[in-house]
Amino acid sequence: MGKTLAEKILSEKSGKDVAPGDLITVPVDFVFGQDGTMPLAIQQMEKELGTRKVFDPQKVGAVCDHASPSPSEQVSNVHIFMRRFARENGIYFFENGDGICHQVVAERFAAPGKIIIGADSHTCTHGALAAFATGMGSTDVGAIMAYGTTWLRVPEAFRFQIDGELPKHVTSKDVFLHIVKEITADGATYMSMEYQGSTVDKMSVESRLVLSNMAIEAGGKVGLCPADEKVRAYLKEHGREGEYRPLAADKDAVYADELFVDASRLEPMVAYPHRVDNVKPVSELAGVPLDQVCIGSCTNGRLEDLKMAAEILKGRKAHRDTRLVVYPASRKVLADAIRLGYIETLVQAGAAVCAPGCGFCIGRTVALGDGEKALSTQNRNFKGRMGNNKAEIYLSNVAVAAASAIYGKITDPREVL
Amino acid sequence: MALKNIRSKVLRVYPPDTNTDEVISGKYKYDELDLKKLAVHAFESIDPTFYADSQKVKDPILVASTNFGCGSSREQAPQVILACGVSCIIAESYARIFYRNGFNIGLPLIECKGISKEARQGDELEVDFSKNEVRNLTTGKVLPMKPIPEFMQQLLEAGGLMPYLKKQHK
Repeated sequence: MGKTLAEKILSEKSGKDVAPGDLITVPVDFVFGQDGTMPLAIQQMEKELGTRKVFDPQKVGAVCDHASPSPSEQVSNVHIFMRRFARENGIYFFENGDGICHQVVAERFAAPGKIIIGADSHTCTHGALAAFATGMGSTDVGAIMAYGTTWLRVPEAFRFQIDGELPKHVTSKDVFLHIVKEITADGATYMSMEYQGSTVDKMSVESRLVLSNMAIEAGGKVGLCPADEKVRAYLKEHGREGEYRPLAADKDAVYADELFVDASRLEPMVAYPHRVDNVKPVSELAGVPLDQVCIGSCTNGRLEDLKMAAEILKGRKAHRDTRLVVYPASRKVLADAIRLGYIETLVQAGAAVCAPGCGFCIGRTVALGDGEKALSTQNRNFKGRMGNNKAEIYLSNVAVAAASAIYGKITDPREVL
Repeated sequence: MALKNIRSKVLRVYPPDTNTDEVISGKYKYDELDLKKLAVHAFESIDPTFYADSQKVKDPILVASTNFGCGSSREQAPQVILACGVSCIIAESYARIFYRNGFNIGLPLIECKGISKEARQGDELEVDFSKNEVRNLTTGKVLPMKPIPEFMQQLLEAGGLMPYLKKQHK
């Protein structure tokens, strides 16, 4: 019987022919945490296992991205705790401003067939490179740092067959928002979400990272795309072509569920407060006044996103009543965007361009005020997410966000650009 | 070995998709490593008296609807619930990472269809692990629960993932 992509990777890694529901133990190729979750992982390791020594420093990373650059002495002290552990062990350590863990891991470590575990729910991002990547808690990550293995339940798979050409101003973000609207926030709980079809084949790896990043918003354990020549090119661009190999589900794989998406019929979508599956076409929400527009995050803070924002905002200004905040996803993204002139354009348009990190999404920096409304390209609009539970968060793609920044209200880019 | 039955009062019944941002706001977890201090902020944004009320009941039970604990992987969410003294959670269903985190730290998470309709705040419940049922001693209603997988039972008996692994690697 044919295998899904998740079954293929897990069979290879566990050394046996696995089926959904099986509990297996697998070696982990890369494990990481961020400043909100890593300190607890270190504490658990120390307190419960009596060790601070990691199993293999080449397979462990720590990233200061969530409260970064540090906004307070308490956070700085948490960063010191993490930094000291990293130096002691000689693991990969990413400082304030190096980037968001998921972008850094995509650039440096993710590759087809690897098992990647992160103490951050959006670790599913790396499925875009056909890695079996999933988020866990701090105790799991502490245990992996000590022993190098983890247990997994082999997931059932949900196939998303996506075909057709995406219309102008419609992106992979809209494909996912459409999917979560259809299947709801727990529609793929415990499942491997496997994205296939001509639309996915045509997408850049950066666009696929969006689909995989948001899998958790439908409850998915992992969000997988096949590894093809685009993945090879992506790895080559990051100096890791040697880590490429083609990987796809078998033609006769068995899926627990399927959804067909006609990409050519999609519109730009917006998720409105306070749930990711509260999704409407942008035209239905157009006109909602905005206090802040945010472009960036681990969902949409990549070079193609900043390029799209710069193209729309070139020679224009953000509305005087609306703050525009930009967080590139990594130092590499920021450096490339500077070199290509996107940052200058965004700054001229009135954007506050911040050091790469998670600032606005979790509200640890650039928090919203009482009663404010924000439109963001991030992945989650839960109450309190941007630092204030009396604020409202809308989610969209980059084109909608950039157009909305210009007009100071939710705007359909197809109407104005 | 079998898990010991749990008998206590329902502290709260939470709606579908209660997420980890609501359990413990992200704004606290980067500042504070002491889980006992974090616990006073549990459910603060949706339920400001949660912590105070949790201290008035011995080993309270938390009841929830579907997809409890969705969102962030933050383990501080089940940790603060545990630190408030909660003995177990009974929900219709859980988000995956939260489910794993609960067992990892020794907090029993019970899946029981219909519980959010059949239990009210203040009701006394009994979780019977040998019969795999949840009994509402206040109303007399008995609901079947999903048996806890063998492996998760072993985690609970060991007191969580770390003590379990320590034994395995001895």
